[in-house]
Amino acid sequence: MSAPAGAEVIVENVRKGFGRVSALREVSLHVDPGEVVAITGRSGSGKSTLLALIGGLAQPDAGEILIDGQALWRQPRPARARREVVGFVFQTHLLLESLSARANVEVPLIGGGARRSARRARALSLLEEVGLADRADHLPSELSGGERQRVAVARALVNEPRLLLADEPTGALDSTTSERVLDLLFRLRDHLGMTLLIVSYDRSVGARADRTVTLIDGEIRSAEPALYQS
Amino acid sequence: MLAIITTNLLRRPARTIFTASGIAVGVATIVALLSFTQGLKNTAAGFVHLGGSDLGVFQAGVADPTASILPAALVGQLAARSEVSRTTPLLLIVEGVKSDPAAIVFGADPNGFFADSLVMLAGRRALTGAQTVLAGDRLGAQLHLHPGGLLTLKGRSYRVAGIYHSGVLFEDSGAVLSLAAAQRLTGRAGEETSVAIELAPGIRTSSAAKSIESAFPGTQVIAEPQQALRAGANGTLISKAILVIVVIALIVGATSVANTMAMAITERQRELGLLSTVGWAPGRVACLIFGEGVALSVLGAAAGLLFGVIGAGLLVKALGVSTYVSPSVTAWGLGRGLLVGVAIGVLGGIYPAWRVTRMSPLKALSGT
Repeated sequence: MSAPAGAEVIVENVRKGFGRVSALREVSLHVDPGEVVAITGRSGSGKSTLLALIGGLAQPDAGEILIDGQALWRQPRPARARREVVGFVFQTHLLLESLSARANVEVPLIGGGARRSARRARALSLLEEVGLADRADHLPSELSGGERQRVAVARALVNEPRLLLADEPTGALDSTTSERVLDLLFRLRDHLGMTLLIVSYDRSVGARADRTVTLIDGEIRSAEPALYQS
Repeated sequence: MLAIITTNLLRRPARTIFTASGIAVGVATIVALLSFTQGLKNTAAGFVHLGGSDLGVFQAGVADPTASILPAALVGQLAARSEVSRTTPLLLIVEGVKSDPAAIVFGADPNGFFADSLVMLAGRRALTGAQTVLAGDRLGAQLHLHPGGLLTLKGRSYRVAGIYHSGVLFEDSGAVLSLAAAQRLTGRAGEETSVAIELAPGIRTSSAAKSIESAFPGTQVIAEPQQALRAGANGTLISKAILVIVVIALIVGATSVANTMAMAITERQRELGLLSTVGWAPGRVACLIFGEGVALSVLGAAAGLLFGVIGAGLLVKALGVSTYVSPSVTAWGLGRGLLVGVAIGVLGGIYPAWRVTRMSPLKALSGT
C-alpha cells in the first residue's frame, strides 16, 4: 500500500449554529500534515460539529476551513473532494447490515466508480491490514463490536485519505476492545502517515496524540485541561 | 450498485412483495384487457368474413354489429350493383341456445353462399324445413348432438338435420336455421342483421365500401376487423377502459412506489447519509433509490404479465364468453404491460430520488 501524505488542516474563525443553538463560536485550529490531534470536550461542546465541518459534511456559517489549501464544501463536486481527501470513522460503525464486511469496505470505491476486481482486491487488502481477512464474507451481524469497528476503519482508509476523522471511535466499545481499535488506528496512522483528528473521552487517546484540543461551549480553550473520563 | 439494490429489496421482503403485488394487479389487468381486445379483433375478423364474404353491410350507429337491423329489400338492391358479385342475407340470434348462451344462431338463405360454404360432416344440408337446424361441430360435440337429435332454440325444439364445419370459430360453435325460420323465431319478419357480400373480380374493398355507404345512407360497411371493433360499442368500451386502467395503474402504482421508497429513505436516512459521507455523489445516491423503485416495479410487472395471461383465460371461462372472445396474448400486448410497469417505477422513483439529492449528509447521519 502506498503511503499517502498527511493533509494540512486550517480552521479560521469558524462559526456554526443550528437554529438558535450556537455549536461553534469563532473556532480556529491549525493541524500540521501527519499530526495527530485529540479533541475533547463535554457532550454538546461542538466536537462532532467541528469534525463534520472539517470533513466537508456541512458548511460553516462563517469562517474558513481549508484542507491542503482548499475548502471541501466549496468544491464543484464536494462528494468527490471528500472521497479523495477524507476518511471517516464514527462511534457507531454505520456498516450496511445487508452487505458483507468486504462489500462494506468497497462502498466508498463504488462511489468513485472503481472496477469490481480492483475494488475487491483493495477491500481484501484493507481487511487483511485490520486483521479481518478471514471475516471478509461475514455480515456485520456476524461480527463482534470490535470487529465491526475495524471494518469501519478499513472502509475509512480504502480511498487512501490524507485526513482521517474519527468521532469517538471507541465510544461504544468495552475497554479491551477500545484499546485494540486504538492500537489499530495509531498503527495505521504511523504506517500511512495521514493526519488524524480524533474526538474521544479516552485518556489514552490524549496520551498517544501529538496534542490535545479542548472544546468548551463551542470554543477552543487551549489553556483548559483535557476533559477525560476517569 | 445492483447488488446493493437487490439486498435492499430483500431486506424488507413483505413490503417488497406487497408493493410489487399492487403493481402486478395493475399490469395484469392491462395485459388481460389487451388480450381481450386482440381476441375481440380476431372475433370481429370472423364477423367481417361470414361465409367467406369480402365485406358485410350493417346498420350504422348500433351499439354492436349483432344488434343491426336491415330491411330485406336491401339484399336485392345490393345484388344489382356492378361491384357486387353475390349477396346473402343473415340474421344473427344471440343467446338463442339456452344450454350454451355463448352460441350464435345464424338465420341464412338456404340457397345463399353462406349456407353453401358449410362443409357437412354428418347428416344433410337440409335448411328448407321450418323445424330443422344445422349444428356446428363444436356445438355438436359440446351438446352431444347428432343428426336426428333435437336442439332447443328460444324454447322451441328443432330437429338436427346435419353437423357442419366452416373453419370460423363462432360459426362452428353455433347453429344455422333458414332465414325464414330465424325471422319467425325472433318475430323479425322482413328483417335481417347483415348482408354478406362477395365483390366482383378486380374490385377494391375500400372503394366498394365507400360507394355502398354513399348509396345506402344509414348503413355501414365493415371490411376490416378494426372497423368491426370500432363499430361495436363493446370494443370501444374496452379500448376506453384500457386507457382508464392504464392511467389509474400509473397513478396508484407510482404513488405506491413513491410511498415505499419515501419510507425507505426515512428508515435508511443514516445509511444514505453514510454513502454521501464516504463520497457518493448525490446523483449516485439518487440512482440507488431510483433503481430500487424501478427494480420493484419490474418485479411487479413481471408477475403482472404472468397473472394477466393466466387470468384472462380463466375470466373468459368463468364468464362463459369463450365463443365470442378468445384472449389473444401478443408480444406487443405484453410489451405494453411491461412498459406501464417500468413507467410506474420511473414515475414513483423520481420524487424519492430527488429528495435524497436534497439531503444534508450531516443531518442524515444524525438521523434528524
